[in-house]
Amino acid sequence: MTVSAQQNNAVVAELLSLHGKDRSHLITVLQDIQQHFGYLPRQAVTQLAQRTGISANEIYGVATFYAQFRFIPPGEHIIQVCQGTACHVRGSWQLLQELQQRLGIKPGQTTADGRFDLRRVACIGCCALAPVVTVDGNVHARMTPKEIALLVKQHSGKKDR
Amino acid sequence: MSSVNQAKVNPEHKHKTPTVKLTIDGRVVAAKKGQTVLDCAGENGILIPHLCSHPVLPPFGACRLCLVEIEGMRGYPTSCSTPAEEGMVVRTGTEALKNLQRNILSLIILEHPGACLLCEKRQICDEFRPDAEKAGSATGCHSCGSRDSCEVRRLAENLGIKELPVAPVYLNRPIEKTHPFIDHDPNLCILCGRCVRICKHQHKTSVIDFTDRSSRTRIGRAFDCSLIEAGCTFCGSCVDVCPTGALAERYAKWQPAPDKSVKSTCTFCDWACELEFGIKQDKLICTKSANENIPVCALGKFALAEFLNGSGRLHSCYVRTDGILRETDWQEALAAVKDRLWNYRGDKFAFICDSTGTLEDRFIFRKFTRDVMQSPNYIELEGADQAFKRAAVPAGVKAAFISGGCIEADSLSKLEVLIIQDCYPSEASGRADVVLPVRVLAETEGTIKDRFGRHRPLLKACEPPKAAGSEWMIICRLAKTFGAEGFNYEFVADITKQLNPPPAPPEIQTGQTPGPAQDLKQMRTHFRGHRIDGHVGGLRELNAGPEPAPVSMPAQTKGTFEILDNRRLVPNTHEIVIRAPQVASKAQPGQFVIVMVDEKSERVPYTLCDWNIQTGTITIVVQEKGLSSRKLILCKPGSKLAHVIGPLGVPLEIKKYGTVALAAGCYGIAAIIPVARALKNAGNTVLAVTEARTGYLLYYGDRLRELSDEHVQAAIDGSLSPRGHAVDVIAGRLKSGEKIDCVIAIGCPFMMMLTARETKPYGVKTLAALNPIMLDGTGMCGACRLTVDGKMKFACVDGPFFDAHLIDWDELKDRRRAYSAEEIHSLAATAPAERSHTCARPINR
Repeated sequence: MTVSAQQNNAVVAELLSLHGKDRSHLITVLQDIQQHFGYLPRQAVTQLAQRTGISANEIYGVATFYAQFRFIPPGEHIIQVCQGTACHVRGSWQLLQELQQRLGIKPGQTTADGRFDLRRVACIGCCALAPVVTVDGNVHARMTPKEIALLVKQHSGKKDR
Repeated sequence: MSSVNQAKVNPEHKHKTPTVKLTIDGRVVAAKKGQTVLDCAGENGILIPHLCSHPVLPPFGACRLCLVEIEGMRGYPTSCSTPAEEGMVVRTGTEALKNLQRNILSLIILEHPGACLLCEKRQICDEFRPDAEKAGSATGCHSCGSRDSCEVRRLAENLGIKELPVAPVYLNRPIEKTHPFIDHDPNLCILCGRCVRICKHQHKTSVIDFTDRSSRTRIGRAFDCSLIEAGCTFCGSCVDVCPTGALAERYAKWQPAPDKSVKSTCTFCDWACELEFGIKQDKLICTKSANENIPVCALGKFALAEFLNGSGRLHSCYVRTDGILRETDWQEALAAVKDRLWNYRGDKFAFICDSTGTLEDRFIFRKFTRDVMQSPNYIELEGADQAFKRAAVPAGVKAAFISGGCIEADSLSKLEVLIIQDCYPSEASGRADVVLPVRVLAETEGTIKDRFGRHRPLLKACEPPKAAGSEWMIICRLAKTFGAEGFNYEFVADITKQLNPPPAPPEIQTGQTPGPAQDLKQMRTHFRGHRIDGHVGGLRELNAGPEPAPVSMPAQTKGTFEILDNRRLVPNTHEIVIRAPQVASKAQPGQFVIVMVDEKSERVPYTLCDWNIQTGTITIVVQEKGLSSRKLILCKPGSKLAHVIGPLGVPLEIKKYGTVALAAGCYGIAAIIPVARALKNAGNTVLAVTEARTGYLLYYGDRLRELSDEHVQAAIDGSLSPRGHAVDVIAGRLKSGEKIDCVIAIGCPFMMMLTARETKPYGVKTLAALNPIMLDGTGMCGACRLTVDGKMKFACVDGPFFDAHLIDWDELKDRRRAYSAEEIHSLAATAPAERSHTCARPINR
């Protein structure tokens, strides 16, 4: 998903008019931009800098401080691997390893084709089903590396979002 | 008590700022209201350690080093952010505070390659290496370009840091060398934030800022773009305030530390900024703004030293005879000028200059034109902000004297006689009858007029190249050659007195941020008719804009010496495997090869660290030092080297000595591999001791354990046990009565010198491999000449192994610095792609 410069300008202008250009609103505006685009596009940050007078370098500094902001479009599918105690005891690290290898990325990254996001989470609250993996919010219980491979395959084909 | 009364009590504070009284370390001192405890203590000669605090920047409180005890306040407040208050009782430097400060600084040093700070031999090291040695990435003080100005180093000395709580780590972040003028090594950064804050303070914006967080925090730009894209104007203030070598000036960082500083005015343009020049042995090394609140432009900060020290400077007089410009002395040159111009007196003559010269120079030019040449044609070009003007010669003029190169090309052909005085050759000087070398910028003295009409002093800060003269003095001498009266000026001040109207008392401080420091478009492109970027590498990159400069990689070669593998062993050190079957088939322990990356590269000797006759390969271990070693380590597997010549040098005599101790450091750790193997095979007992500043710099441990009877790894900073140099281990064994029949040292000259010194009392035969001093490797260049037992030797043909106890180490130390000026200049002139690891491409595409 690429964002045109025009789209950018319009969105940033509108969000700014909601909150005002004061630097104390910077994080709120950044959150809104991310909400809109799913990430912070470079052009949007540049636009925001021009309109607020805060340098893009400073905005980037603020945004990178918080784990909530991202700078590349999110993957189509978000895979979360639980690394909580129960899941860990039942070998969830093997699932994570399998996924890392299969997708070629580390937790927190997005595949080059934009298909998958891989995240590790501490506990998703269904320890009885350990080890647990969620794909786009759907819980997959008692996973094995073999099933993980199948899961990735299922989501690799068509775009369903 | 009113402030007026207080002023009477304390005459030093005559101004009306209210003051408060407080006690620091038992002394009652006065502070201005609002002044911090740190500043107040500093003013009164009480030094509190600090790193992030800076006089012109608001308090930040990041480094936590400036802790003090204040009665009635809990804990240990930071003095940089605590305002002085009436009646405060402050204690600094108590044992408790010192312990805290030592701990804090130790934690900083854990992530700042500072092993040299903990070295017990650092004093001898500093004596042996008066200047830091060039390296691709600093892994300790002696390979850091900011060694002599580093505040971490100074504090560690003052606080007496003797050991670190745990082993240090190397952050392993990519070093940025692609920016114009500035090298950024995030591995040296202590995150004090001075650079970020000075940028905001001086420019009211952030070109750089902290990005990311926790252990990943670094100084960066939006989306990791380049400094140019981030909107940097290259005022260099961030470099000036950096307490470490994290931000450093590429040209200045390897220069020796200045021995004095001179304040004068920049004459690149009429903003005429006040600069502070760093001078070493009458040579200008670095510049910075003389006012820490005000930035200067890239010309003043970065271009001046490189422009003045350029190798292309005119340094002698030239007179055209038989169509060729020939070098001559002043007397002949001035006589030739008189001969050529004599018949053109009157309006056939014109004098052309621009307004960058001093008032005194131009006064003399005018006087010479009018009184000696009796011509009305005195042409002075006005300086322009960007556009550069060239003068046309008025109709009828047949002879011209031009100061600079600012003349239209068309006019040149109309002239019968052309005299040029200038700092660099130009198109005009190539066609001149006489060329005279002149002093410019910081080499000159006098008065100049800035863009606001103020008079500004110009003080001579450095010496010009060889014969270059002051312009006024040249013209005065010329006038006397013509037999003219009234040119008897001894000093420039004698002319200043005659100026009409007389100059107002000079003003040093301008107090204004110059336009070009805020807007690159306002920066002058020409000086005396020369493109400034023609002589300053960084300016060319800056003018090329955000697009990366064209990649100029080493020339393609048809060589057969293919690089099969190239991997980094430890920071700054690469292991390179090359296919060279003939070298491999003849190689013997202790020998070396000469490598030329491409047809035009420098010849560089590298010790053979391993070879394999079956596969026809050789292994060398390369430390990144200067331009040539960098070229080599940038070569990716698959690329081919122009020449690999060898094996060269006298092999080590392999026989049964008994017990042999090998002492190795840096590249020597690899170089002792074949030595250890051969000695072991010859029936010796081999003790292999390797040393490094810190644990993460040691390598090949497994291989050496296999090849030797005993392998010991020593770390100078104590991150591994034993702590110390390799020779400390060996000397320890000798002292305890262990029998060692021969010691062989391979490493840097300092380490080998140290080994020789420590083993001498025990009378053990000690050999040193003097490869590091070689250049050409055939005995022709003479660079590796040394004295052994009073006899002259060449390391490359008589060595590399010599009896270490008989080597004249003092002579060797001095000779090693012979080419340092050229080496530094070549680094500054290198294209960005060749400086950087990250954007390198293999040679054969």
